[in-house]
Amino acid sequence: MEKMIHVENLVKQYDRAKTPSVKGINFDVKEGEFFAFLGPNGAGKTTTISILTTTLSKTSGNVTIAGSDIDKEAKHVRENVGIIFQQPSLDPQLSAEENIRFHACLYGMYTYRPTFKMMPKEYRKRVLELAEIIGIQDALFKPIKKLSGGMQRKFEIIRSLIHTPKILFLDEPTQGLDAVSRRGLWDYLNTVRRENGTTVFLTTHYIDEAEHVDRVCIINQGLIAFNGTPDLMKQNLLKQEVILDSDNRLALTNELTAMGMNHRVEDHVIVPYQDITAQEIIAKLKTKLTLLKMQEPTLEDAYIEYLLRTGGETV
Amino acid sequence: MNEITLKKPVPKPLREVNVVITILARDITLFFKSPGMLIMSLGMPLIMMGMLGGSLSQNMAGGLGFDYNQYMLIGMLVNMLFMTTASGVSSLVEDHVTDFTQEMMISPISRYSIVIGKILGSSFGAIVGMLGTIIIGLFMGISLTIGQYLLIFLLAPLMCLSAGALAMIVIGLIKSNKMANMAVMLITMPQMFLSGAIIPINNSSGILYLLSRIMPMTYCLDLTRAVVYSGTSEYANVVLFNPLVSLFIIISLTIVFLVIGTFFFARSEKNR
Repeated sequence: MEKMIHVENLVKQYDRAKTPSVKGINFDVKEGEFFAFLGPNGAGKTTTISILTTTLSKTSGNVTIAGSDIDKEAKHVRENVGIIFQQPSLDPQLSAEENIRFHACLYGMYTYRPTFKMMPKEYRKRVLELAEIIGIQDALFKPIKKLSGGMQRKFEIIRSLIHTPKILFLDEPTQGLDAVSRRGLWDYLNTVRRENGTTVFLTTHYIDEAEHVDRVCIINQGLIAFNGTPDLMKQNLLKQEVILDSDNRLALTNELTAMGMNHRVEDHVIVPYQDITAQEIIAKLKTKLTLLKMQEPTLEDAYIEYLLRTGGETV
Repeated sequence: MNEITLKKPVPKPLREVNVVITILARDITLFFKSPGMLIMSLGMPLIMMGMLGGSLSQNMAGGLGFDYNQYMLIGMLVNMLFMTTASGVSSLVEDHVTDFTQEMMISPISRYSIVIGKILGSSFGAIVGMLGTIIIGLFMGISLTIGQYLLIFLLAPLMCLSAGALAMIVIGLIKSNKMANMAVMLITMPQMFLSGAIIPINNSSGILYLLSRIMPMTYCLDLTRAVVYSGTSEYANVVLFNPLVSLFIIISLTIVFLVIGTFFFARSEKNR
């Protein structure tokens, strides 16, 4: 698969800052990959995303986006990316549709027309279709300033996708959205990704949103601290556990001790394991079980564990 | 969902023109959505032309060798274009504050298209202000011929471009609305008094002479008056420079200001 994002020794030092915010980081993102870029506040996430989208200059290093150098071929880079900024960037005076029309015309998709009705049929169809998918068709012609934060976010998503970018940068896209809106948004983004093969670069503080990504990259204090699959991150950081119980709990704990299995008794008997499978543990047990539960560690558990181990701030 | 298939995407050579039109159209849309801007565009001529101009006309117009009212009307029309365009361009700072400039900066478009579109968009409000000035002039019994008005309208885009380009240099260095408003006042007010908009500068000397010669509005006014007064007996008393010289200076200054202003604007957005 082609590398859609290539970052090599990227450094960014802000004016008047004593130390760089990004300290020589390296990573690649492949075509179609769903890539989560996580880290605590001030770790360098937004700085990195701003450089990758050509809105901020780098201090040094090499970055290519869809094969184009961000400095030498910035215009080509911009043609291939869509972005949802951390801070809303809609014009509050314009209507939602006017904001979308403005964007589509800036990207050269359509010749500007002063009203929605005068725009080409395919534009109108596309906008109405996208608005319906996200469930915001009623608000399409209302001024942005009269819409809730969640609605504004949804319109930003429509706007960022109207030119079908190869790479979609999402800088905390669901910030301020309620649970239902978040779910609706992710359902839609997953459909876009699946059907268009869009590469997605995500930063988020809702770690559960990164649970199903292809790869997780953690940045902390301007350095890459982890880069791999969510499963690898969990395996590296968390012990897996099986939760057991029995009417004869004493017999069960004695049996576990005899097997040399570490365990602790809380509400139930918790058996951590690492070099053995849960099935192997259960197969050896003779005591009749009344409870058998697998403790599935989440990415958030692994992420918090990582921050605790490295002394990083929690999100 | 399917990949969008565009039947007629904008051809590449016309893309930047389309961008300029889009940015211009946004400003026009905002103008009509904001009653305050409309009121300002019509209220400013009342203050500038009706009160300031009227008072000067009544108290200082004697012995000039030309009709001061007509002189002042042309001065106010050009001044209105300058002030309103510069003020409109300063709304880029507001766009920066609300993060809307990010939307433009991330688009695959030339930074010059953003700046030119913004200047032309601001020109719309300036033209409305100009119309307001003409109406106030009519109430005061001051008017030009239809042909003279048309000539001024033809020159108006160049005047607006010149004013906008000058404002861009300052706007590119500023990040707050309050500062932007002050900066616009600082670049427009001295020009109103020193470039011959309402006070003739034929006899300026020393530092005031020097300042009047480095202000772009001096040449815009002189070119406009050269066109309006062409073939009249008042021409020699009113016009300072050869119109071709004025035109050359206006175009040169506009290009230089546009390049520097766009550089500052793009740099301020990207370098932090």
